[in-house]
Amino acid sequence: MTERVRIRVDDVEYEVDAGRTVLQALDDCGALFPERDGKRPEQTDALIPHYCWHPKLSIDGSCRLCQVEVRAGADAPPKLAIACNTPVSEGLVVDTKSETVAAARQGVMELLLINHPLDCPICDQAGECKLQDYAYTHGVDHARTREPRRKAKKRVDLGPTIVFDQERCILCRRCVRFCREVTGTGELGVFDRGDRSVLETFPDEPLDNAYSMNVADICPVGALTTKDFRFKMRVWFLEDVDGICTGCSRGCNVHIGVAKNAVQRYLPRRNDAVNGTWMCDDGRLSYHEIAREDRLTTCLVREQAIGEDSPQLRPASLDEAVAAVAARLRPLLDAKGPGVIAGIASAHASNEDLRAFKTFLDVLDVDTIGLAVARGDSDDLLVEAEKGANGAGARAVGFGALAPVADRIRGGGIEALIVLGHDLFADGSLDARALAGLDTVVAFDTHRSPVERVAHVVFPVRHAAEKDASYTNSAGIVQPVQRAVVPGPEVRDEGDFLQRIGAALGLAGFETETETEAESKAGDGAE
Amino acid sequence: MIGETLRARIDAEIARFPVKRGGLLGALHIVQEGQGCVSLAASKELAAIFDVFPVEVIELVRFYNFFHESPRGRHQVYVCTNLPCALRGANVLLKGLEQHLGVGVGETTADGRVHLGREECLGACANAPMIRVGGVYHEDLDLAGACAVLDALE
Ligand code: SF4
Ligand code: SF4
Ligand code: FES
Repeated sequence: MTERVRIRVDDVEYEVDAGRTVLQALDDCGALFPERDGKRPEQTDALIPHYCWHPKLSIDGSCRLCQVEVRAGADAPPKLAIACNTPVSEGLVVDTKSETVAAARQGVMELLLINHPLDCPICDQAGECKLQDYAYTHGVDHARTREPRRKAKKRVDLGPTIVFDQERCILCRRCVRFCREVTGTGELGVFDRGDRSVLETFPDEPLDNAYSMNVADICPVGALTTKDFRFKMRVWFLEDVDGICTGCSRGCNVHIGVAKNAVQRYLPRRNDAVNGTWMCDDGRLSYHEIAREDRLTTCLVREQAIGEDSPQLRPASLDEAVAAVAARLRPLLDAKGPGVIAGIASAHASNEDLRAFKTFLDVLDVDTIGLAVARGDSDDLLVEAEKGANGAGARAVGFGALAPVADRIRGGGIEALIVLGHDLFADGSLDARALAGLDTVVAFDTHRSPVERVAHVVFPVRHAAEKDASYTNSAGIVQPVQRAVVPGPEVRDEGDFLQRIGAALGLAGFETETETEAESKAGDGAE
Repeated sequence: MIGETLRARIDAEIARFPVKRGGLLGALHIVQEGQGCVSLAASKELAAIFDVFPVEVIELVRFYNFFHESPRGRHQVYVCTNLPCALRGANVLLKGLEQHLGVGVGETTADGRVHLGREECLGACANAPMIRVGGVYHEDLDLAGACAVLDALE
């Protein structure tokens, strides 16, 4: 076991691991702002401003803003030291509020601001800029220099995802360390020296890696901004909702930035057990799928058989769609029993909806069930091969391999299929042709997909950002999400639709009035 | 391309240090001496030899005045303009050399013979003003003396 030591920071005593530095130790205790991941400091947070230190990067000690007064014991003389690189020791006393500390911070802020452009009104970082924040809380309110400020490159296209403003850079080297230590791609460096130092890439080579946009998050200022979010929205208009990325089974935690009932961006939300402080670029951009044109917004039904010169699926009301499913399944159940029905779950559905689906299938007595998931590339950092946030949740509920189900379908033993999500054809064991002979295919999906081509009834369901639910990641961690945006009125949870279908089929324990309905009635006028 | 001879010298340099990258600065000198500059291509080769990122090599090259990324003429002439030399007329000397060579500071003569630069203290203050031609110091100069030194260069 690591040795523990006691340190005192202002009036609070902490017991921490020996061998850590002051900032690391406070972060270990979850007491460091903003690393604790609060958007606002809380009373229990230690307020030690810092730029270059980051909990997931090596110590740089270059910004000098984290200076505090330390004493080896209550009676020892105080000295200024940087909190990020001062090791803790038994009885260490840290003063973050003394006049000496305030003066030291002021000095650092003044130096940092000497060459900083007065860009705030046109800078995308304004509102979440640590230079702005600390200039306000720890800086001086006027400049003593009259010399012209340094001129450097503006709007540098660093690569596919990032735009760089050299004048705004405070040379904390967080982005440099990220590219060397986290992605191992090493695109960035600080060239030249002294007041001519500049951040650059290797001449004519881009900043381009699968995690590149994280540099914009860790850049304390507006020097690195993402092309995706740049100039889209002032950050103070954003509401911050806790969510997860649904791109793969890692389930990276995100801050969902919401405005005008639309998701404006994902930012990684710290969770050391899941994603640390990072997320991949594909996952970060995956929020675009929430409001994409191919979202399903109404129920769809098909009246003629597939393969005839049949009309496209046509929009239908909820009741019509539910009735259509019942009208197809009831005779089949009566004539042939539940053995000819199969249920396929999706890694995109929430635990709650998967449980509802399993209950529905159990009550029907359907036992041909499986899980369809898409697989893709993975890496050593975060990205998992399973593309969907809840494969583990689906397996925990009881949905196993797809192969036996696919075999039965291809063998002609199945006449009706109820399927969640759009990964039905992903592993190649089934295709539209294999399903063409089925009497009934009922699909629940967020987006239009090839599954629709063989479906008789389609229900539009909610995205993870549109519901209060939970998802289980590949490590078995159950992660709650909150509703960030409200979808169209006809878009509902799988569980809600299944409840109605169960009721229409006359299944025991299924009622028409559902929670969502009750909730939306109660919520009327509240929006 | 870093040829075999240079590579052998670089390997000898590496052997002098407990960690490989300790030899990088020396290797930059070796490459610049052998190839006239540390080109971007050479930086990449060095990065591979030293197991560092190419930007780390560029960081070094651009940190130190001694290194340059493109060739700078056959002879590199640097005039110290730090305080003691300045007090002894180094800036007048520099102006004079600019006129004599027909180039400005930081430029190379059209025939590629001489590159003229300015430098901080070279530690020869007692004999100011002075110029450095490659690795050789010429001290206690006046303009005529300095011109004579340059004219004698091939
Ligand atoms: S660009 Fe941002 S993160 Fe990178 S060194 Fe500059 S201020 Fe720091
Ligand atoms: S690693 Fe997976 S969960 Fe994390 S951001 Fe990327 S796609 Fe999303
Ligand atoms: S955070 Fe400690 S010196 Fe920058």
